[in-house]
Amino acid sequence: MTLRTMLLRRLVISVPLLIGILFFTFMLVRLGGQDPVGLLAGPTATAEEIDIVRAELGLDKPLFTQFWIYLGNIVQGDIGKSWISNRSVLLDILERIPITLELLFWGVALGSVIGVPVGLRAAFRHDKWFDQISRGISLLGFSIPTYFLGLVLLFVFFFLLGWSPPGMGRVSLLISPPPTITGSYLIDGLLAGDWSVARSALAQLILPVIAVAIISAAPIVKHTRAIALEVMSSDFVRFARASGLPPKKVSRIVLRNSSTPVATFIGTEITGLIGSVSLIEYVFAWGGAGQYGLNAIIRGDFSAVQGYVLFLAIFSLVVFILVDLLVLVLEPRAAAE
Amino acid sequence: MTLLRVKDLHTHFISRNLDNEIRIATALNGVSFELSRGEVLGLVGETGAGKSLTAYSIMNLLKPPARVVGGTVEFDGRNLRDLQSDDMNSLRGSEIAMVVQNPRSSLDPLTRIGEQLVRVHTAHSDATAATARARAVEILGSVGIPAPEERMQAWPHELSGGMAQRVLIAMALMNEPKLIIADEPTTGLDVTVQAQILDLLRELVETRNVAVMIITHDLGIVAHYCQRMAVMFAGRIVETGNVNSVFDNPAHPYTRTLIDATPERLRDLKHKVHGGGAPPNLYNLPTGCHYVERCRFADDVCNDPVAMEEVGAAHFAMCSHISAVRDGWLS
Repeated sequence: MTLRTMLLRRLVISVPLLIGILFFTFMLVRLGGQDPVGLLAGPTATAEEIDIVRAELGLDKPLFTQFWIYLGNIVQGDIGKSWISNRSVLLDILERIPITLELLFWGVALGSVIGVPVGLRAAFRHDKWFDQISRGISLLGFSIPTYFLGLVLLFVFFFLLGWSPPGMGRVSLLISPPPTITGSYLIDGLLAGDWSVARSALAQLILPVIAVAIISAAPIVKHTRAIALEVMSSDFVRFARASGLPPKKVSRIVLRNSSTPVATFIGTEITGLIGSVSLIEYVFAWGGAGQYGLNAIIRGDFSAVQGYVLFLAIFSLVVFILVDLLVLVLEPRAAAE
Repeated sequence: MTLLRVKDLHTHFISRNLDNEIRIATALNGVSFELSRGEVLGLVGETGAGKSLTAYSIMNLLKPPARVVGGTVEFDGRNLRDLQSDDMNSLRGSEIAMVVQNPRSSLDPLTRIGEQLVRVHTAHSDATAATARARAVEILGSVGIPAPEERMQAWPHELSGGMAQRVLIAMALMNEPKLIIADEPTTGLDVTVQAQILDLLRELVETRNVAVMIITHDLGIVAHYCQRMAVMFAGRIVETGNVNSVFDNPAHPYTRTLIDATPERLRDLKHKVHGGGAPPNLYNLPTGCHYVERCRFADDVCNDPVAMEEVGAAHFAMCSHISAVRDGWLS
């Protein structure tokens, strides 16, 4: 399968997928029992005023008509307006995406740098003490609720020890943000040569990144270990041993053959992690797309919720395509098909 | 000259059950046989009899909970059980080579064929990559792979089962082994390819003077390609001898049952096969003959320890009722 046909096939599949996702979120937010009209019209509004607001928002029409209008708007690039910020949801989300990605990227990168070697070592030391302990710790990582982990980190490192700045945004309130280039305050600060900004941004990043890393490392350890163990019990590793290859070479065969499934797993994990990242953002007042989405859900900001879900869906599709490309590079079998 | 002498080999699976009691499955219970250069020995028996386990015990490739607990494996004057793991590793793939079942999944999927051939050679010699490469091309050609130069670049998934098995045999030959252990080398290949692979193995024995041990459950293969055979049951060799002698006048009721169960015999004999049934429980084997539960000649004597007895020229069997079995089998 060539690169082009693969990408084309992906794109063709993703259209009905996206329409389905749009339909379900559209219906879910409207059938969820939240009524934003009452909130927007205010507590003193009369029945007539409420009806006017409802008509203005287009919520008086039948559901399917509403969805049809919504789809028509999307085709024209308009995914709606936030009722709270009164701005285009598209702009709101676009400017927050780099903020979320920064946290996600560093978190998963750190989680992988810790998780993959630990998982591999656990597999190579199968059932020895390292394996047992890492399994226990990874189980702990699985069991901690995301928001609680964020709160504990803040409590210990900011409140008790004072090592960390308060979890209030991406840069200290006393420092003005750098000019936007990439959207990451750390990188933009470095690019602008402004060390105080970069340092402050780094200090703000550390705790939330650790939180995401802990949450992502637990499953990475577990799956890397399982994948490596499976490779180790495969026919070709057994045969490599029977051929008298030195243990180092056999280990290298195990590592290479584990790399594709591990990379695939981390890719799919990223798409699942974005939900946890939203909670971490909330705890650390991070102000990214995740926090925006959670706020929208809490306040019944329908267009913003739909925009947020659409962002998640597109993000997942993009990650899956990237993972497929990576597999194409790593795997001669995939390249041949 | 005897190349491999296995004596009283015992391999156990030692584990603990949920109540933390030690449980021992006695999988090999005193396997003894010999093999010389230029000879082909067929090891036959039903699934679970311990054929492959014998091979892996000899190669010292067992993983817990399996463990060799007794016996000696003498190869070319050395006791393999005394070797350090490094020394054993340098023996594997060079002096003793293995050809395994499932050739396609036994090749490293992410490495080209040529590279895999080169790496078994360089792992066991000081050869440069270039000489190893030249040797690989030559050997690929000699095992009947067309266009060996091009095949060096092939990925394992591009090979058919028969081609992959030829590549494994080529890998076995890279270091001029003295002994090749072929563990069900033709299972899963179609019949014509099976014959080609076995012909190739036989040719190697004649031209390179190697010893070959073929593990199989196909008596046809044994009859056509082996000089000697050993029949295994429940971790013991119950009958061994020259192929002609064993087939003409089998002494052990289990051997007779195996032979009766081949398609040709089933057609000729038109009678029910005696002696089938479940394999005995390895956690609790009978004290005497292991075959006692499935044998229609069994009586009290069979619960006493039983030893190998000479039943013909260089032909041995482990049964207390040999004459009764030979005379009364068809009745």
